[in-house]
This record gives sequence, C-alpha cells and structure tokens, in this order.
Amino acid sequence: MLEVTHLETVINDYISRELVQEPALLPLGNATPLLETGVLDSLTLLRLVLFVRERFGIMVDDVDVVPEHFASVDAICAYVRARVESSADQAGSRG
Amino acid sequence: MGKTAANAASSAGGLLRRAEFVAYWLAVAPLAACLPPRLAYRVACWRGDWSFRYRAGKRAETVRNLRQVLCDELGPDEAERMARDFFRMMACVAIDVMRLRGRARSLRKLVEIRGREHLDAALAGGRGAILCSPHLGSYDSAFCLLHAIGYPVTTIGRNAVGLKWGPSSAEQRFWNLVYTRRLLRHRQRPNIEPWPGRVQVAVQAEAVLRANEVVTICSDAPPLDADRARAIEVTFLGRRARLLPGVVTLARLTGAPVLMISVHRLADYRHQVLEISPPVPMGGETATAFGRCVAAMDAAIRTRPADWVYWADTDHLVTFGLLPAAPSAGTEQIYVHSA
Repeated sequence: MLEVTHLETVINDYISRELVQEPALLPLGNATPLLETGVLDSLTLLRLVLFVRERFGIMVDDVDVVPEHFASVDAICAYVRARVESSADQAGSRG
Repeated sequence: MGKTAANAASSAGGLLRRAEFVAYWLAVAPLAACLPPRLAYRVACWRGDWSFRYRAGKRAETVRNLRQVLCDELGPDEAERMARDFFRMMACVAIDVMRLRGRARSLRKLVEIRGREHLDAALAGGRGAILCSPHLGSYDSAFCLLHAIGYPVTTIGRNAVGLKWGPSSAEQRFWNLVYTRRLLRHRQRPNIEPWPGRVQVAVQAEAVLRANEVVTICSDAPPLDADRARAIEVTFLGRRARLLPGVVTLARLTGAPVLMISVHRLADYRHQVLEISPPVPMGGETATAFGRCVAAMDAAIRTRPADWVYWADTDHLVTFGLLPAAPSAGTEQIYVHSA
C-alpha cells in the first residue's frame, strides 16, 4: 500500500518539476486546481499519465481521464490510490 | 430604399446558395457518384465552375487570398485559374465521399497509394504510427481509404470546425448526414476531437498508438483561441505562421513514428495519388522537428496549391498569420470543405 504522504510528495514533485511553467504557482499546493491554472492540458496530462503508469505500475484507462480525477494533486492521489487498491483486490481474488 | 433592395437581393442570394449546397450534397453528388468516374467527376467540375461563376464574393475572396499569400509566384490570370480549380476540387470532394460506400471499392480504383511500405514498416515497430497531413484535397477520404484496405485508422480532428455559420443543430445534423457519418464508418474508433477543455485527447491518442494502430492528424489547422499560447512560429507557404506542434510532442511521448501523408488530384480530376513518406526525424528542438513536418506539408501544398482547403477562408488565414488582420469583409456563410 502506498503511504499517504509519500504519494502526495511524489506526484507534487513531478508536477512541480516537469509540468509547471509558471513560477508563481510554486510551491504547488496539493489542492491547487491544475486544469484551471493551465498546469495540465491534454499533452501535459499525457506526460503525467505515463509517469503514473511507470512509477506506480497502474494502467490509466483513457475513459478514466476526466477532470475530476486530475483536478488537483489530491484528486490525482485519490484516483491512483483507488486504482492501486482495485488492482490489489483483483490480484487477491485471483490468488 | 436602394439599401433595402440590396439587402433583400443579398439574403435571396444566400438562400439560393444554401439551397444549391443542400441539393448538391443530398441529391446531385450521391447520384453522380453512381455514374462512371469520368462522368461523375465531370458533374463535380460543372458544379465547381457554376460556383466559381455565380459566387462572386467567395471567388473574389479566394483569388485575393491566393495572390496575397502566394504573391511572388502568382499572376492575376493564374490566380483566377487556381481559384476555379479550388471550386472544382471542393465539388470533387463530395463525389469522393459518396464513393466511400461499402468497402470504398469505387474510390479505391481511382487512388494510387505510394509509400505503403513505410506505413507497414512503422507498424512493424509495434508503437503505432502517426500520419500527419495538411488539409489538402480529399484528405478525409484518403484516411478512409487506408482504413478500407486494412489499416486501423483513428483521426484526431474537429468535425464541426469548418462550420462558420455556427453550430445550429439542423445544419450540424445535415452535415453529419451527408459527410461525417460516411467518414466515420471507415474509422477504427470514434474521432478524437480536441475541443477546449477535452483534456483526455492525448491520452486517447496514446491508447490508439499503444494498440499499434494508426492516428491521423492535420497539423495545419488554425489554432483555437484557447491554444494560441502553445502555437509556435514556423515558416509556412513563404511566411511566418503560427501552428500547433502537438504531433511532435505526441510522437516523442509515445515513441510512435510520424509519417507525412498527402493526396493529390491529377489533371483529369478523377484520379488521385496518395503518398506516404518515410518517418520524419524527431530529433532536435520541438520547433526544429515540427519545422520538418511543416516543410513537408508546405511542399505538398505547393505541388497543387488549389487543393488546400483554406483559400476561401480569410479568417482562418489571418489566424494562421498568413494574412494580416483586417476588418471582416462580410464573408459568406460557408463550410470550409465545400465552397
């Protein structure tokens, strides 16, 4: 299970380092809206999805790419956590 | 009094144009497409010549835009001839779309595909392929043809972007009926439409490429207001234009190769050549890599400039940066693909 603060830190660090173009948005709050502030657009969101896939080993379905799941660092973490848990449940039921 | 009469004549002219447009797409083109190709495309050329003759405003706008953008290489007579070819090409597009019926066999017989081996080699790499095209001639039907011969094609593009008369639901439904619906039958997945706020577009495209399928994208689209900040300046048609380099970013993030594709109508109007290039190198700065794509689109357009769909649309040419901003000349309501 991913640790709560660790996940927030990893996601926030990645977005702050790789995706934020506007220095005024730094340091990035976990509740800062990422879509309205322009931090995430279609292509930067793809970068984030590829990072999440590689870092946490979860597949992000394109149908899951809706604003609610990527509105802020908190929302992203909630989504990632839910995906990790559902993957673990599936693995458990298979085992 | 004179002004009232002029307004009445103008709105009557607008109604007539619309009626002709509806009749052509709903009845004439579907019937003509059933004729032998020589006759079918002759009918389209007649319709193009009729539009060229009677739509004086749109004709003047097209000639003016051609001369302003291609000023160094175009005399007045040649601009007139090119404008007539433009109207003919737009009418031929309707016949092409109608000939997509079934497995598009009747259109396939008229289109020679060159460079298919490049697409096969790209897909053998297992990361899908991005086909990048200018809005040239029957580019949409060309994508359909590739799907019809076995390539799983999905398009990134906005279906309604050309509707300058606004998204009235009746007009939108009409356009879907005569045009969009026929194209979507030849797509692997629904169109990926990059409207503002649709943040899932690139992820959807990545899913297509991850499945080792083909994504098509026209990279000479004028940027929407919401996207202007992402546009970069490139040399295009001899001028500095602002275009979106999304194709390069998508290719770099997914590892998918970018191949340029263009379709050209031959002088007999019924035969076409669809050319697929080897992969474009994606090295260097984004502007450098995208510059290679733009250079290829530029070269394709210059091969047959009349086939570029934007000549009749001053607003779009201004958005590109190809024409200086000027007060609107009261342009007719028109769909960009169907002058």
